[in-house]
Amino acid sequence: MPPPAALINFDRAHDRAGFGTDGTEIDPIMSATADPVTSGSAELMLMLLSDARLPTGAHTQSAGLEPALNAGMLPHDVPRYITARLRTVATVEAGAAVVARYLSLGPDPVSGLTMVDRAWRARTISPALRETSVLLGRGYQRLVSRLWPDHPAVEALRSQRQPSRAVVLGVAAACTGLAPAQLARLIGYDEAQTIAAAALKVAPLDPVDATAWVIGAQPAINEMTASVAGLTDPDEIPAFGAPLIEQWAQIHSITTQRLFRA
Amino acid sequence: MPDFVGVPSTRSLRLGIAGPVGTGKSSLIALICREMADELSLGVITNDIYTDEDARFLRSAGVLDPERIRAVETGACPHTAIRDDVTANLIAVEDLESDFAPMDVVLVESGGDNLTATFSPALVDAQIFVLDVAGGGDVARKGGPGIGRADLLVVNKTDLAPYVGVDVAQMVADGRAARDGRPVLALSRLDRESIDGLTAWVRSVLVSFRSGDHVAVDPGPMAPHFHAGEDGAPLPHVHDGSQPHTHAHP
Repeated sequence: MPPPAALINFDRAHDRAGFGTDGTEIDPIMSATADPVTSGSAELMLMLLSDARLPTGAHTQSAGLEPALNAGMLPHDVPRYITARLRTVATVEAGAAVVARYLSLGPDPVSGLTMVDRAWRARTISPALRETSVLLGRGYQRLVSRLWPDHPAVEALRSQRQPSRAVVLGVAAACTGLAPAQLARLIGYDEAQTIAAAALKVAPLDPVDATAWVIGAQPAINEMTASVAGLTDPDEIPAFGAPLIEQWAQIHSITTQRLFRA
Repeated sequence: MPDFVGVPSTRSLRLGIAGPVGTGKSSLIALICREMADELSLGVITNDIYTDEDARFLRSAGVLDPERIRAVETGACPHTAIRDDVTANLIAVEDLESDFAPMDVVLVESGGDNLTATFSPALVDAQIFVLDVAGGGDVARKGGPGIGRADLLVVNKTDLAPYVGVDVAQMVADGRAARDGRPVLALSRLDRESIDGLTAWVRSVLVSFRSGDHVAVDPGPMAPHFHAGEDGAPLPHVHDGSQPHTHAHP
């Protein structure tokens, strides 16, 4: 009697993930031949990249929340702040990351990443926001450079001078096999979670309420994801400005008694 | 910010300086720079919560090329940046090592925290824990991972002891008792002999590091502490792996 279909599928996925054609064991994460979706590695990589324990130095960040509260925004407006970020700066960043991922897997990743970085900068007026992005990008760059040193996308990244976080995350997605929508959703989730977690440190709140805000951001995250997941050309990257967020970022960059760097 | 160039082939001795706020970590670094910058290629990474104040202090002290002093802003959690996620500090160290290769020693100053804040061996090869007499004569006796197991315990500002009513000899003896034979140094910037003792220690660690004999030690995240046992009696223990752990931590 033939084995059940589910078992066959499992065996196929297992073959692709864990063993080479000659039957020798290979590293499923490092292997370019494993299908990241069927092997489950993309899902695991998405969890890894969204985990606060990932060593990238992101604990110094509030995604602009501390400057917003310092400027007089009230804590009960944090959910609206999350939505505002998702519809503006996060959309720009996710769009740039999706295009960076696409071009870093293409025939000319070096000029692809250069074009995306330039496009993201042109859409990000505040020098403080650009500086923060570069700082965070370096944390992820150290990670991907050590984990996937020979990946063509990482080699292309090495040619970039001070790449933005969007470009580095695009490369990280290329290395880990994330689909464009997964990459965009990662950026949306990170935005919401960074703000909610930071809110707990600067305002008296119940942590469960902050977690509820992240869940409540789901429709906005999915909307943002749908709007950028299909992008492949740097010219298509959205250009939504957020003048108050940019102004607050500028003020915060010269504030001395700050709990969060940005 | 410099370009990313990966891990440099020339690896310095990375020496952490930890200890409570105000015990003289920045001054100790300035002292090492002033005494050793002529014989060793040095670099400094400072950690500050809010600003780059410590970096500016060291640059203004004129003891080292200002380009060799870099600041890392840790945000509200200086502890995290030297233990749980050392990425920002590692990037800063690697940048210095590649910009000034070959570098002999990079000194990493912690942002200052409580007695349990020590460096992860992922960031530094060896560490100095700094106390001072003005913080109280009983602090060395209180113990903790830094006091007990840092590579060197410094009891700083011994010249102030008469003014704050602290018995330096007793404080050093307390430190030795807590350290199981590891070195303790009573230091004053006015005491030449103690300064020579500090620089001799740095040289000896560098020799040991270069010979490959040096083993980076994690002083451990937690101090020896008590829990109530099942019968309500205190259950003292240490998390040093010497005994199996039989109870849960909340």
